[in-house]
Amino acid sequence: MKRTIASLVLLFSAALTLLGNRVIAQTQVQTTINANQAAQIARIAVPRPETALPLETINAPFFAPLTRDLAYSGVFAIAPIPPNIPAGADLAKAAGAQFVLSLKINQEGQDYIIDARLLDATGAPTQFAQRYRGGAAALPRMAHMLGNDLVRTINGKPGIFLSTIGFASDRSGFFEIWLMDWDGTNQRQITRHNALSILPSLSADNERMVYTSFARGTSDMYVISRRGGARTRVPTGLNLNTSATFSPISNDIAFVGSVAGNPDIYVVKDDGSNLRRLTHDSSIESTPEWSPNGRQISFTSGRSGSPQIYTMDAEGSNVQRISFEGEWNDDATWSPDGSQIAYTSRVNGRFQIRIADLATHQSRILAGEGSNEQPTWSPDGKWIAFQSNRSGSWQIYRMRVDGTDLLQLTFNGENKDPDWSKKGD
Amino acid sequence: MSKSFKAFGVTLILLASVILPACPKKPPKVAPTATTSVAPATIPDVPLTVTTATAQTVTEPNDFVATKTDVTTEVLPNDIGELNRVAQSRGYIADAFFEYNDSSLSADAQTALTNSATWLKKNAQYNLLIEGHCDERGTEQYNLALGDRRANQAKEYLVTLGVDASRIRTVSYGEERPFDPGHDESAWAKNRRDHLVLVGR
Repeated sequence: MKRTIASLVLLFSAALTLLGNRVIAQTQVQTTINANQAAQIARIAVPRPETALPLETINAPFFAPLTRDLAYSGVFAIAPIPPNIPAGADLAKAAGAQFVLSLKINQEGQDYIIDARLLDATGAPTQFAQRYRGGAAALPRMAHMLGNDLVRTINGKPGIFLSTIGFASDRSGFFEIWLMDWDGTNQRQITRHNALSILPSLSADNERMVYTSFARGTSDMYVISRRGGARTRVPTGLNLNTSATFSPISNDIAFVGSVAGNPDIYVVKDDGSNLRRLTHDSSIESTPEWSPNGRQISFTSGRSGSPQIYTMDAEGSNVQRISFEGEWNDDATWSPDGSQIAYTSRVNGRFQIRIADLATHQSRILAGEGSNEQPTWSPDGKWIAFQSNRSGSWQIYRMRVDGTDLLQLTFNGENKDPDWSKKGD
Repeated sequence: MSKSFKAFGVTLILLASVILPACPKKPPKVAPTATTSVAPATIPDVPLTVTTATAQTVTEPNDFVATKTDVTTEVLPNDIGELNRVAQSRGYIADAFFEYNDSSLSADAQTALTNSATWLKKNAQYNLLIEGHCDERGTEQYNLALGDRRANQAKEYLVTLGVDASRIRTVSYGEERPFDPGHDESAWAKNRRDHLVLVGR
């Protein structure tokens, strides 16, 4: 276990050095603390970093996102440190914490070097000791990496703090495809079509996006790197080319294609080859989404007379109806463990996020103000991002799957079509 | 179409540009083909014909129709945006409207498309783009599919009326581009439509 995690971190740091924001994670000692020994939610005190650098250069880009990540992790609870604690006092005891995160930050040339150690309630070091190194622009990324490493140390599962959310925003004048970090920071424009561009879907490795743009006057699918740059059109020979979504296990893209006004679910390779038609109904079929193991596809169909959610095997067989309540359901998306589907469901004239259990067929509604649409799960299945017009314009929000800890993530222009990456670390 | 009619049209344009201070200095270009207009009964608001006697009241110098006895000669704007504005306001082409979550063509929609087909068949120099639109009450992704179905319903109907299928292209905007930004039934009714757009060949 110890070796696995260490090599994972090394692999990851190797990958990161290829990025513009250079971050190096140097593993000194790395292990997991037995999850049974840790409480379900570990109280952690996070005193200010020891550093000769001005705190304002550290706070906003590193310390604030780190404490935010830990506070929302569902693994840690931040134990507030009482004011006026004398130097050298027992911090864990004063804060009633099980752990203290000790941070030392130095500068070497342009690089920040962050030494993080986790101390237990007695003040003794645990086996968690990590060094992160990178330029000023990489400080938020180092915060998210440290947060992920701490979460993995406690519960053995990958964190989600390096996950990203793709979305469409019109703040540049047209709807274009944008990306943001999981906490709503670092919002950056990816496409520059100067034409309506919507409905992004991130690839399983979180490296590419597929989306629909009207740049040619028709609606077409394009693939673009998450770093922007050149985009590639995916030719299908069909109309619509909407609701595109990457397979979690291959280079296939499921999407809605139309021939002579009959929208159906199709699959095509990302280079436009091997086009396959999965549904053959004369009704409207729309909004495909792969199950996490790639073996099934959910979709919306009007075959019953109103838009309802169905699932089928990835080859198009074994169609089953999932939604029965309400006269308009759409936007189905699978929980990462494949056991639940979240979708948009009209309830009393307004759209709400509904979560249905696929085994029991029980469903519950996460009610909110306004119209709430297009849910998307966090990689750990604990959060749902969605769009709502409750503020008077369309914005993207995040909440826990029980509806708590609601947070508005976007504020500029209109923002919609959120798609949370399947990878968070 | 005789040359004299075309010349007559040019004369009228020149006359109008002298009379009207708001006119552009440069005389508008004359469309290559002048055509016979549709029957006046199909024109809802703007008078179809302009005679020399009423030339002073012309407010659309780029858009011209001349009448002599029962034959009408018309000069259509070269600018495609202006052409569409004129064609819509005169009912040469007309949008088709739909019921909620429905893509079937109502009697009114069929009338609009029948008139459009008549004009399109006589004006083969233009192609047609049909944009399918939906109101905001549905969901974005399903509405894109619904708009595609609406646009193709109109296309198929125009083809049965004799318009060459190769002249017609469709695109669905779903609920992305509402005509009326309101949030009530009067806005929604305007937004559930096939919008017909003339494009160059």
